[in-house]
Amino acid sequence: MLSKFNYVKPETLEDAIEFLASNPGTRVLAGGTDLMVLLRRNLLIIDHILDIKGIEGLDRLEYKEGEGLYIGAAVLVNEVFESGIIQEKYRALSQAAGHLASHQLRNRATLVGNICNASPGADLSTPLLVYNAMVHIQGPEGKREIPIEHFFTGVKRNALKPGEIVTAVTIPDMKEGDSSYYKKQARVKGHDLATVGMTIRRTAEKETFVAVAAVSPTPIRLHELEKDLKNRTFTEETALWLKDEVKKHVFPITDVRSSMEYRFLASGALAKKIMTAMMEEGVE
Amino acid sequence: MSEKQLNHIGKGYDRKDAQEKVTGQAVYVHDMEVPGMLYAKVLLSPYAHAEIVSIDCSEAKKLKGVKAVVTGKEACQRVGLYMVDKNIMAGNKTRYQGEIVAAVVAETEAIAEEAVTLISIDYKELPIVHNLDEALEAKTLVHEDLHTYEYLKGVFFPQKNTNIASWNRTKKGDIKKGFEEADFIFEDEFNVPAVAHVPMETHVAIAQADPYSDKIKIWSSAQSPFAVRQLLAKSMGIAKSNVNVIVPYVGGGFGGKAGVHLEPLVSVLSKAVHGRPVKLKMTREEEFNILPTRAGMRARFKTGMTKDGKITAMEVYHDWDSGAYADYGVNVGKTAVYSGAGAYVVPNIELHSRTIYTNKVFSTAYRGFGHLETHWAVERHMDMMAQKLDIDPYELRMRNILKPGETTISGELMYPTTGDPSACLNAVTKELNWTGRKSAEDRKREWKTGKVRGQGFAMLQKAPAMPSYTSTAAIMQMDEDGHVKVMIGAVDFGQGANTIMAQVAAEELRVPLEDVEVVWNVETDKHPYDWNTVASKYTFMGGNAVRKAARNMIQQMKEVAAQVLRCHPDELTHGDGYIYHVHQTHRRISYVKLSMGYAYENGNGIGGPLISHGIYMASGLTNPDPETGQGRPGLVWTFGAHGVDLEVDVETGEVNILKVVSAFDIGKVINRKLVDGQVFGGIVQGVGSALIEGYKFDGDSKLLNPYFGDNRIPSSKDIPDEIKAIYIEEPETAQVDGPYGARGIGEHPMISVPSAIGNAIYEALGINFHRLPLTPENVALAIDKHLKNGEE
Amino acid sequence: MCSTEKVTGKNIEKCIEYTESGLPKITIRFEVNGDQFEKHVDPTMTLLQLLHHELKLFGTKEGCGEGECGACSIIMNGKAVNSCLVLAAEVDGAVLLTVEGLGRGNELSILQQEFIKYDALQCGFCTPGMLMSARSLLDRNPEPDDDEIKEAIEGNFCRCTGYVPIIAAVRSAAKREREELK
Repeated sequence: MLSKFNYVKPETLEDAIEFLASNPGTRVLAGGTDLMVLLRRNLLIIDHILDIKGIEGLDRLEYKEGEGLYIGAAVLVNEVFESGIIQEKYRALSQAAGHLASHQLRNRATLVGNICNASPGADLSTPLLVYNAMVHIQGPEGKREIPIEHFFTGVKRNALKPGEIVTAVTIPDMKEGDSSYYKKQARVKGHDLATVGMTIRRTAEKETFVAVAAVSPTPIRLHELEKDLKNRTFTEETALWLKDEVKKHVFPITDVRSSMEYRFLASGALAKKIMTAMMEEGVE
Repeated sequence: MSEKQLNHIGKGYDRKDAQEKVTGQAVYVHDMEVPGMLYAKVLLSPYAHAEIVSIDCSEAKKLKGVKAVVTGKEACQRVGLYMVDKNIMAGNKTRYQGEIVAAVVAETEAIAEEAVTLISIDYKELPIVHNLDEALEAKTLVHEDLHTYEYLKGVFFPQKNTNIASWNRTKKGDIKKGFEEADFIFEDEFNVPAVAHVPMETHVAIAQADPYSDKIKIWSSAQSPFAVRQLLAKSMGIAKSNVNVIVPYVGGGFGGKAGVHLEPLVSVLSKAVHGRPVKLKMTREEEFNILPTRAGMRARFKTGMTKDGKITAMEVYHDWDSGAYADYGVNVGKTAVYSGAGAYVVPNIELHSRTIYTNKVFSTAYRGFGHLETHWAVERHMDMMAQKLDIDPYELRMRNILKPGETTISGELMYPTTGDPSACLNAVTKELNWTGRKSAEDRKREWKTGKVRGQGFAMLQKAPAMPSYTSTAAIMQMDEDGHVKVMIGAVDFGQGANTIMAQVAAEELRVPLEDVEVVWNVETDKHPYDWNTVASKYTFMGGNAVRKAARNMIQQMKEVAAQVLRCHPDELTHGDGYIYHVHQTHRRISYVKLSMGYAYENGNGIGGPLISHGIYMASGLTNPDPETGQGRPGLVWTFGAHGVDLEVDVETGEVNILKVVSAFDIGKVINRKLVDGQVFGGIVQGVGSALIEGYKFDGDSKLLNPYFGDNRIPSSKDIPDEIKAIYIEEPETAQVDGPYGARGIGEHPMISVPSAIGNAIYEALGINFHRLPLTPENVALAIDKHLKNGEE
Repeated sequence: MCSTEKVTGKNIEKCIEYTESGLPKITIRFEVNGDQFEKHVDPTMTLLQLLHHELKLFGTKEGCGEGECGACSIIMNGKAVNSCLVLAAEVDGAVLLTVEGLGRGNELSILQQEFIKYDALQCGFCTPGMLMSARSLLDRNPEPDDDEIKEAIEGNFCRCTGYVPIIAAVRSAAKREREELK
């Protein structure tokens, strides 16, 4: 690690934002599981590191009936994984959290950190996309919110402006009969980055949401496919149809992890398996 | 072999070093700090093949805390186990991306790391030899001066003006005639990529080179301290007796630490800082990118078969992609000559094994020493021939399997006590409940469920690959309290050698195991010689040496005791910590009273401190004939077989291994727990090679995956659901000239795991795979192609 | 290294320590294996480096430095973490447990005893990290099944044992802890 950085741990959000504004060579530290690797490989050289874990309220994980879920920037992935309410109401998010890296990394990594890193294959991206999560941002010009779908702007790029930080992610409340399922294809059965990651959500009114990661520069929603699925019942035939159809809606590339051809195949396989799993739970 | 009751042999004792390892007390070179120590960091070549035009170290030298900057100009010594083809640091050219081109020594690692970035090098890129085909075309030579290199003549055969470091051959019988006798001729080609050893402790060494003499002291995470001593002395041009190599605990080796690696470089660096100790520790990326791997390899088999499934002839080409240097790789190539056609009778054979240079990270010894690779080929080939002949694959193997009275492809005669490959195959197929191949209908039916099952099996064999006059020695000394210390030259890096030797010593001395310690930290100045801790040979060789040392100690005690007890030494026996008369057992003296000599009541002393030694020299080995490869190179053969029961998800390509059953003719299990450890570990490492691992290079031969992130190994979730080990310990086929009938097993559990998996996948899918690894991607794409060709 | 050139009697409290490269050191107060410490650390130092260079606790190992292999696993504030990815500065106020803290008095802990009994180690380099992941599991879940054990140690690479004896050791330790520790 070549970076020679100062370490600061502000106690309020205002202090943090003020520091970020006056010190451009600063990176925000939450769990550090992405940042420390970048620093170690000297892919980033920074002057200051700003630890947000001292800021009150950022570790809040709370569900309010009617309002939905609040996930503060310092909430750990393991907290998301182990949360009973998330397992119940936002099942795909719990599944995805459990598939993120290893137990030790989940004890440090944060959900907000995962989306800020904005990897095309970000594990927590697809559930947040199907739940229409909102990203809450605060910066020198004040607060703003943007839908998660607009938060990912490119490969490892997010919509934050200089000096801004994400303070929380919120997810609207889910109604009765809302079902979601997540699946990940990797190279090994042990902890690994996603070759393809996918979440499908279906409401009681058959409104369908499909999100896929690692098949385009950012994680994406398949809006065209969603419209089509609204008019179809989940059956064995639909699942078989989906296996081929989904390939027309994704844009994978070949990289060191996987070939484009396999990502097409895996997308189809995951879509069929997810739909089948949901069918087995009674989803139509 | 004695029918006597064994006290310690066969018992599953806890390993002796366990406590130190579970408490964090065990010290590895990774942890070590030595007074006055400085830290080194290295600069890697970014190009696969380039001339080093100029190096500017001036900025690096200016950085505060930097003590020396060394390049290939200063570090121009050569090193090589069998072929002296490698500079310890790239000289006027670099031959692989990742090769060390410069090094910095500084007060801290951080300063050294920064200084390395300040070194600027001018390269002139050269054409790259990417792969075996380009290497064989020889338009570009990786080593233009190959014919000037020093090498072991008569054993290796470098081919001038080519990229062939060595061309070794086996020639037995007349293959032309053999092919004429065949009813069918089958040809297949197989490939395996390079894989990394991945010891959890990366390579690390500390050197202290005395500035006023030739003396060098080395601490290294190494398997073979005596090989380090020998090769370091050679490359530095000094006497071996000037080198002292110390090896504390080692965090894994798997063959990657078998030879000499960082030690010559750190020695030069220490000299550059006037003899201060210098430590060089590889990061994980450097471990993947700089240090050698298992060679990638391509095997081509052409086999003549009668319609009844008897082999009449084989023509084999094993081409090893050894990367930029020959190192140990050239010996892997040579070894294929005596076992590269499997555990079968081949009356007529020409086997060519060529170790070939390319511009990639180079190859070295790896668990199995070429056998996993050759057995991927031959065991898949046997299965495919069985398919085409429509003969059951078990039957086909049994019709050709080596039996007593037959000769191997290098002309070695099989005795009953060489081992029993048939027993291994029988044990495995019985446990699998093998009743024959899957029918196409069953496969089709299962396919509809999305998951298809398959069973497969494969044979394996290996004998050590080592010089014909390899030896080992053990020294024993007794403490005043009757406890015994054993000094050996082999390193226990987790395989359990120290515990096994303690059991052997305790058995012979007839003392409790707690009374014997095998001394840790092998140090070449203090411990007796062992060639290399490799080749699954140490239980056999070391066990024999330790037995002799123990018997010698008993003899010494008897000779002193005989004087005191006033009888002939032959009337004495030993046990329970006493030397005593065979008949009048009350006439006895304790070991303790003899340990420092015996003192009579009047004060006279006789005898002295009890110190003994034992040696074992490999017996009856010959060098293979340079033309025909015939001879007796294999000291001890261990045969085995793996059976696999697995399930393939036909949509994702994921392979789920439900059960592995493995049988080995081990002769005698000295410690079941430790042997099981080798089996579980070897099988899982084999699963890694089969389903996960493989180096990837880009178009410029740069390594794409030098991180764990993209170079994964099996985790706890990647293991088979069930592993069952079967040990064959029949007195008639045990190793009579080994300790208690025991043979080696360290490498064997890894060999043929991919083969058995490949054979099982054929059963499941009806698809034959020729390449490793069988990742979900590779399997799914093959299934997709198979379906598109309308075969399901 | 002090920021003032001369330490006069009057300015002594204002002396802040700086690193060689001019960064203000961070004061951290923390507990390791029951012992209290106060250190002034380079802000770029990792927790693993703190253990090695400041505390001379070498039991925790570096396997990759990037959080993939788990050899550096320790327990921080009750959670298993990869110490190579934690900054020493973040350890202020933390309670840490490393492999050196597992034994009690003159006795090895039950977990360590079972590791020995089941031969859940060979070269031993992954063992400290493996023990800490197992310790963390048993603290959270006193009756884990094999899948839960595999999940807990998924982030700890072992190249030697094939994991089978490790899983057996943890299973046995769980049982013994339930029976013997009340």
